[in-house]
Amino acid sequence: MAEVVNVRLLKAGDKLQVSHGATVVVVSNPLDGVWIFARYLASPEDPSLEGTEDMIFAQDIIEVLEISGD
Amino acid sequence: MAVSESRIDHLLLKDEIEQFLYQEAELLDERQFEEWLDLLAEDIRYWMPMRRNVKFGELDREFTREGQDISWFDEGKDTLVRRVNQILTGVHWAEEPLSRICHSVSNVQILKATPSMSQPTEVTVKCRFLIYRNRVQTETDFLVGKREEVLRSVNGQWKIAQRKIILDQNVLLAKNLTFFF
Amino acid sequence: MATKTKGRFVNGLVDMKAGKISREIFVNEEIYAEEQEQVFTRAWLFIGHESQVPKPGDYFVSGMGEESVILCRDREGALHVFLNSCRHRGMKVCRYDEGNTPVFTCPYHGWSYATDGKLVGVPFFKDAYHEKLDKSKWGLVEVAQMEVYKGSIWATWDPAAPPFTEYLGDFKMFFDLSLEAWNGTDEPLEVIGGVQKWLIPCNWKFPAENFSGDSYHNISHRSVDMVGIGPSGTGRRDTQERADSRRLQVSFPDRGHQTGIYVLPGGSPTAASYQQSPEVADYFREAEEKRRAIKGEWGRVTGSPGEIFPNTALHPRQPRSIAVWHPRGAHQTEVWRWYLVDAGAPYAVKDFLRQYYIRYSGPGGLTEQDDMENWNYAHSASRGTIARRHPYSYEQGMGSEQTNFELDGLKIPGTVMDLTEAKSSEQNLRNFYKRWAEFMDAPSWDELADWR
Repeated sequence: MAEVVNVRLLKAGDKLQVSHGATVVVVSNPLDGVWIFARYLASPEDPSLEGTEDMIFAQDIIEVLEISGD
Repeated sequence: MAVSESRIDHLLLKDEIEQFLYQEAELLDERQFEEWLDLLAEDIRYWMPMRRNVKFGELDREFTREGQDISWFDEGKDTLVRRVNQILTGVHWAEEPLSRICHSVSNVQILKATPSMSQPTEVTVKCRFLIYRNRVQTETDFLVGKREEVLRSVNGQWKIAQRKIILDQNVLLAKNLTFFF
Repeated sequence: MATKTKGRFVNGLVDMKAGKISREIFVNEEIYAEEQEQVFTRAWLFIGHESQVPKPGDYFVSGMGEESVILCRDREGALHVFLNSCRHRGMKVCRYDEGNTPVFTCPYHGWSYATDGKLVGVPFFKDAYHEKLDKSKWGLVEVAQMEVYKGSIWATWDPAAPPFTEYLGDFKMFFDLSLEAWNGTDEPLEVIGGVQKWLIPCNWKFPAENFSGDSYHNISHRSVDMVGIGPSGTGRRDTQERADSRRLQVSFPDRGHQTGIYVLPGGSPTAASYQQSPEVADYFREAEEKRRAIKGEWGRVTGSPGEIFPNTALHPRQPRSIAVWHPRGAHQTEVWRWYLVDAGAPYAVKDFLRQYYIRYSGPGGLTEQDDMENWNYAHSASRGTIARRHPYSYEQGMGSEQTNFELDGLKIPGTVMDLTEAKSSEQNLRNFYKRWAEFMDAPSWDELADWR
């Protein structure tokens, strides 16, 4: 398992592996260290989520896949 | 800087400044208010900002701003004289009877000495204070924090030119600030 | 029509027929607990000022009675006042004093609320709750009513309370003296950054009564008058305008609000003020001339300390400040003090006022310090068994009150006491406590709003 992520530090554009096998991209960060606003890029278990936005809880973040460049 | 700042110069200056600050504390503790006023430069700025609880990453908003926002004190020599005069009327009920007070000054650091450590005319100092104030029967306050100050040599005598008092409290836990930091 | 002839408090512990008030109402912890229910859940309470939360997402943590509340402007620009407590397990959702945020997230289990109070984030909503929790029922507890009155923000927990302007009644015109610009227009005020907050060891009703119109305690402020911190270098304020005026106290028995006022004769010259700074003196002279031109006859009226029931204190003129006396148990009060200036005033004026205000009021204020000493030890000397048997005296000026008071063509509403010769009266204090007793006895607003 990847190390514990400080959700406060995530930025728009970062890509994350989240629970239920989904992948999301960070849209914005409320800086509470608990939630981020993200858009589903891939959601094999529930494809209806793809393209939708939701709040992602810190403990549902499995791994940071990609830090946004800029 | 014509003369190099040796450790001896620093040690001597720090001792001199400490003795000055202890002497100042002594005057206040002994209620020698008028003698204390003599230690203040005519253009002294004496102020104490308030502090907010702010989010991590926004600590630049922790303190109320000098010259802009409300602070606990924002004084010059004139108003400090008036504060002393009020105590000396003997009918300033908030200080009548007089409080018992003890100023502990510590962690004295010389941050800057101009033009030199060996012959300074102005010194920037940081220190800590612990003020114990006891009033009437059981009323007791502990005020703790830091002071950032500038001392200026005037006719061979140190005077306090600037004092910024950094109190480590948000809601003030004392009912009044009738004493000096 | 409400029955106010006798209750446990009305003409009981608060005996307005005899002009006596039992010390129990200040020091008794059971009465204090009842008061939290009877007064603080039902009255309108001051929250803050619009200038503190100008943009969406701005918030300021305030208080209502003992409780922490969040004043917040949502994404659409609407203001809300919420209880600062997570609906799940109670943790404070905001332990900062003020700032800007898109959400309020509880640190304990992670529940998250939008700035309109809606519950938007519930961890493991699918996995643990199976999406069965009805989020719409678990938003932050919001006040029953909130109103913005000339920039001031008020709230009440009681849906049955009359709307705020009705709650104010005819006191409105006197509250306006604290809220309008110095020139009498509705140009905006702003709160100078930083609300003073400090603890004082007395029941909140000591300061509340003081600001209601304790005209008798000038002896306590003799020392500050002697040293001279006023804006013209003497006393604690400019006095010429007052010296030229008739001094009145005005109270509203139905509402429990009261204030002192000064009424100038018609055609009075503008008294010099703020003489320590020519720029500030000019600013106030021009403002005063404009104010009188705009207000006509009512420009003859200036304000002095007043109180909006229960615990909002007004200083309309020198200094201009609003304070709230938050109850912290029977024996302690947390004072919050806001200082107000014209938003459009030049820096030199704001700077001058800022320095004047804090040497007058607050814990470092040479005037307020002596008040607090009195409140502190009046309270502590009243806690004993014997002390509690002996009521306080509130008889001063009983029987001298006037209604339908007219002064050189000005009809002053409410109950008026003329202090010009009398020098002092306790009518405003009697008015405050009479209303307090009514709140303590009344089962609901049906009994309290008897002007309807």
